[in-house]
Amino acid sequence: MRRQIPIVVCFVFGIFMLAQFFVSHPLFTRGYQNVLDWMQIIFVFALLVGALSFLILHLEKISKRQKDWIYNFVALSGLTAMVFLGFFKGIQKDSPFLWVFDNLQVPMQSTMFSLLAFFVASAAYRGFRARNFQSVVLLVAGVLIILGRVPLGEMLHSKIPESATWVLNVPSMAARRGILIGIGLGSIATSLRIIVGIERTYLGKG
Amino acid sequence: MPVLPKYMKLNLDRRIIFILMAIAVIFPLVFKLGLPNKVTPEVKNFFEQMENLKDTSVVLISFDFEASSFPEVQPLANAILMHCFSNNLKVIGISLLAEGTALGEKVLKENALKYSKTYGKDYVFLGFRPQVTATILALGEDFHKIFPEDYYGVSTADLELTRNIKDYKDISLIISVTDGDIPFSWINYAVARYNKDLAVLTTAVMATSFYPFLNSGQIKGLVSGLKGAAEYEILLKKPGMGARGMDAQSMAHLLIILLVVLGNVGYWMNRKKGSRV
Repeated sequence: MRRQIPIVVCFVFGIFMLAQFFVSHPLFTRGYQNVLDWMQIIFVFALLVGALSFLILHLEKISKRQKDWIYNFVALSGLTAMVFLGFFKGIQKDSPFLWVFDNLQVPMQSTMFSLLAFFVASAAYRGFRARNFQSVVLLVAGVLIILGRVPLGEMLHSKIPESATWVLNVPSMAARRGILIGIGLGSIATSLRIIVGIERTYLGKG
Repeated sequence: MPVLPKYMKLNLDRRIIFILMAIAVIFPLVFKLGLPNKVTPEVKNFFEQMENLKDTSVVLISFDFEASSFPEVQPLANAILMHCFSNNLKVIGISLLAEGTALGEKVLKENALKYSKTYGKDYVFLGFRPQVTATILALGEDFHKIFPEDYYGVSTADLELTRNIKDYKDISLIISVTDGDIPFSWINYAVARYNKDLAVLTTAVMATSFYPFLNSGQIKGLVSGLKGAAEYEILLKKPGMGARGMDAQSMAHLLIILLVVLGNVGYWMNRKKGSRV
């Protein structure tokens, strides 16, 4: 029963969601709106489960003094401080919560993202090698895009931005389309397998 | 046999590369280079679509980005908001990512202030809703049910701008300002199911993901990266953060190409040297 009930629920809701897309009967519309409400409710509970799991994981590492436990402590302190500030001081303008967000989180995250430029430069120097024909093709396409997406490319030669656009619009888009169609077909096949109960890995063990 | 210089042996210390990159980025930001920018057809097309929107049309702008990419998406958000407010379009701001909420509100307010727009009448900020799919679908069913209140706790039924909005039919265009894949959900649900027009303003790295959708007409406009922002600023005749950032990006790209060339020269010289031994 533990496995059969979820499979039946999945089948009923799967078929319903599929049917409601094509049927505009008020009964289906009302049912669909209820499902949307439930999705929000379930998400909030999933968020609670996530927060609890985060708490347990880090507390366990701290209590066992595992390697680098100080970082777990920092993560927990951050969570606790933000929850405390949010609940007791509010999240409105000029609140401590927003101050921490604007002056700590935003600069720190932007810094992490910006570091990519430095690592990309170093990696390009070390790794972008014309070793064989394929790597030469990759190198030429890469250089065209790098130059074609900045004003400098236009200054060097008017054909560079055009060539970069061609790379993006023809070979790159062809590959991307192939991948997207593959993903689409795969999603339909997997969804059908889940709805009819062939694919049951989402139930976990037991 | 001549001794190869250190940089030819592929041993250029990464700290030197980091310093060079820092100089390449900082120099153009301090000393303006003013490199000329050319407007691409895709940005021009979207700009013209925005121009063709009727006065007082309602535009839904979703701030779907996180703090990490804020420096890249902020010029995009500024450009589109400047355009909306200068053309008297009504703006409804939402966020489908928690982090985008505070940042979206900040950008929206700053631009509204520049154009002396009134909250509740010219623009509204509704804040964050969890569960992307459910929110996008629910907006097509009952606007007031999914957003009964705005970000500040005021009922959306009491705000002049949102009072008469029932669903997507009352919104002219959706614009997702994003750094990730949330536009896929907008395409799958708002465009496919409700036949709503969508434009995507995204980071340069994400742009290739959306080109097939622009080409197929599933999205009506695509503006990407600092370059897209700079082009939009040119069309608006208001050069700003995008144009300034493009100089720095140009120099950084030039440095990367020089490093690639240098690395390859070293690689081939080492290879030749190896084959002689």
